Amino acid sequence: MKQASLYASIALFAGSFAVIWATQGTGVIKNDLSRNIFIPAELTMPLQVKAAYNGRDMFFRYRWPSEQPGIYHDMLKFEGGKWVRYGRSVPGPQPQGIYEDRVTMLVDDGSVPEFEKYGGYITIGDRMRFFTNEASKEEVKNQPYLGGKKNKSEVGKYLPATRSDVNDWASVVPEDDLAALREAGYFLDLWHWRAHRSNPIDKSDDQFVAEARYGDSGKGPFFTNWDGDNQQPKLMFDPVSTGRNALNWDDLAQRKLGFDDLYYLREDQAVAFDPDRNWAEGDTIPRRVLRAGEGSRSDISVVGKARWKDGFWDVALVRAMDTGNPLEDKAMVDKRVYNVAFAVHRNATGSRWHYVSLPVSLGLDREAELNAVRFEGAEPQWQQPWLDVALFYPGQVSWPMLVDREQHAGAEQIAEGVPVKVRHSEKQLALYGVEMEFKDEIQLQWLFTMLAGLGLIAAFGVAANLLMTRKEG
Amino acid sequence: MGVYHLLAIVFPIALWDVAFLFILIRTLSAGSLATRLEKTIVPLLLLGVLAGAVAYVLGLLAWPYSALTASPLGRNHMLMATWTLAYWTMILVLAWRLGEQMWLGASRWVMLGLAAFGVALLTIAGTLGGSLAGNPSGISDLVRLLGWEVYSTFYVPNLTLWLLVVVSVILVGIGLRERKRHA
Repeated sequence: MKQASLYASIALFAGSFAVIWATQGTGVIKNDLSRNIFIPAELTMPLQVKAAYNGRDMFFRYRWPSEQPGIYHDMLKFEGGKWVRYGRSVPGPQPQGIYEDRVTMLVDDGSVPEFEKYGGYITIGDRMRFFTNEASKEEVKNQPYLGGKKNKSEVGKYLPATRSDVNDWASVVPEDDLAALREAGYFLDLWHWRAHRSNPIDKSDDQFVAEARYGDSGKGPFFTNWDGDNQQPKLMFDPVSTGRNALNWDDLAQRKLGFDDLYYLREDQAVAFDPDRNWAEGDTIPRRVLRAGEGSRSDISVVGKARWKDGFWDVALVRAMDTGNPLEDKAMVDKRVYNVAFAVHRNATGSRWHYVSLPVSLGLDREAELNAVRFEGAEPQWQQPWLDVALFYPGQVSWPMLVDREQHAGAEQIAEGVPVKVRHSEKQLALYGVEMEFKDEIQLQWLFTMLAGLGLIAAFGVAANLLMTRKEG
Repeated sequence: MGVYHLLAIVFPIALWDVAFLFILIRTLSAGSLATRLEKTIVPLLLLGVLAGAVAYVLGLLAWPYSALTASPLGRNHMLMATWTLAYWTMILVLAWRLGEQMWLGASRWVMLGLAAFGVALLTIAGTLGGSLAGNPSGISDLVRLLGWEVYSTFYVPNLTLWLLVVVSVILVGIGLRERKRHA
């Protein structure tokens, strides 16, 4: 009987550990949109990149998998007698699938020293937009420089040295210092291709990150089509040139419109909105109007046609190597080495729900991870092999957290200048990023698990001692 | 303190692994060598637990506690190290109390199984420590194949926690009942 009890105890003990093993990692991580939490099904994805230059222009080509092309974005649907917006930036995927795909690239020439080692992480500051603890619009509006002077309403990307306190997004250094930092090249160039808001007119947005994310000077490739006073669009399709006044919502919802169809509104195909027209339920007008940009913001163009085919996007971009705007663009110089970092938005997601890369060195005919090939002529032949880059979902990981020794065991390595690649893989960073979104819950559950396991070991020890010891004689 | 943890941790690993080896030899043999080795098992286990406790404390001092417990890998290493130390302490107490009885009948096979499980815990805790220090091993891949991604925190849902509490109570109850029955 004692023997049977011993075996039963061993079975219970072993079975408990089997259950522990089988159920570990479950029960905590779940989407919670009210806290800006949505975890993508895939935490990593591949991106392929090529680069080339001819002494005058710089070319990049990107290729990445996507289940379908996200070419619709931000629409106004006539619904119940009023114009309702679909396709705004929301936590996780836009429910109706109305959100564009994007590829972005941060570029530095060595003027932002941390970027070479930590890439885009350095741009993720305190209380970022769509973090669980994001700063409110009111707080940002009340910040004299960002809200007052720059008309920002959210905390976006910014560089660490533009703040006097790394833990406070609002601690912007004096404007003279900001100007001096920019003069010193302390900003990241940002190439920003969008499948709806720039691609139909074969353009890319041209931006930069300094104390905030800005568009370069000039006009961007789109503007907002909304008359707030009258709660209606400013423009509609020109029936003369397009044969219609509006799109049909069902065509968008069923994804019937492709690259050869009209799914976007161009300024030269638009006329003033007519409120007296007999608008029908489901009539839809894009909330963004495409236009030929101007100035520095219009420096980047699409090479050929950027298209999605057979499950992959293939996008090539070109820009003058030296745009003549050293305060907004990083000039590309022959034989020089740069650092770049990529990001992709897909699956109808915006904002921080992107996949990002670690920094990649770019050499213009120099040894680097991404070798830009010099060629003669107007356009590259793209005969060089692709560089495979792993992208990952970064979660809610901020630079203030990473450099805080109380919150990050690797903060000391960052202080010593150890690059992130030395200690972490992309997959590891994705997993850590997800766990950061449930930091408190996971920590508590982990503690309970440790204590429950200790209790189990102790209880088994008691049972084994009582069951295995025999009375002498 | 991290470097001192690395220096100290080799001792409990070596002592517990050697103790397991001697338990294995004694389980399979009653020869003179095996019976002589048998006498060293409890001292080995005792030294292992003492060295393990020292290494554990040094490990806790390697980083601020908040930083250690903010890292999934840090949490995992701490959890496995805690369980490993507790488990080998349990084996020490058992071996100490059982004495010669440990090798009678099926008890020796039970002891071998328990020690083998202790080595498994020790190995996982060790490989997590290696990963934390920037030197991941193939053991992490094996653990991954068995269903646990070591870069994700090891925790169980509330239902499992309650199950563990219930099983713990049952285990103590079984032991007490048998003791009472044979009193």
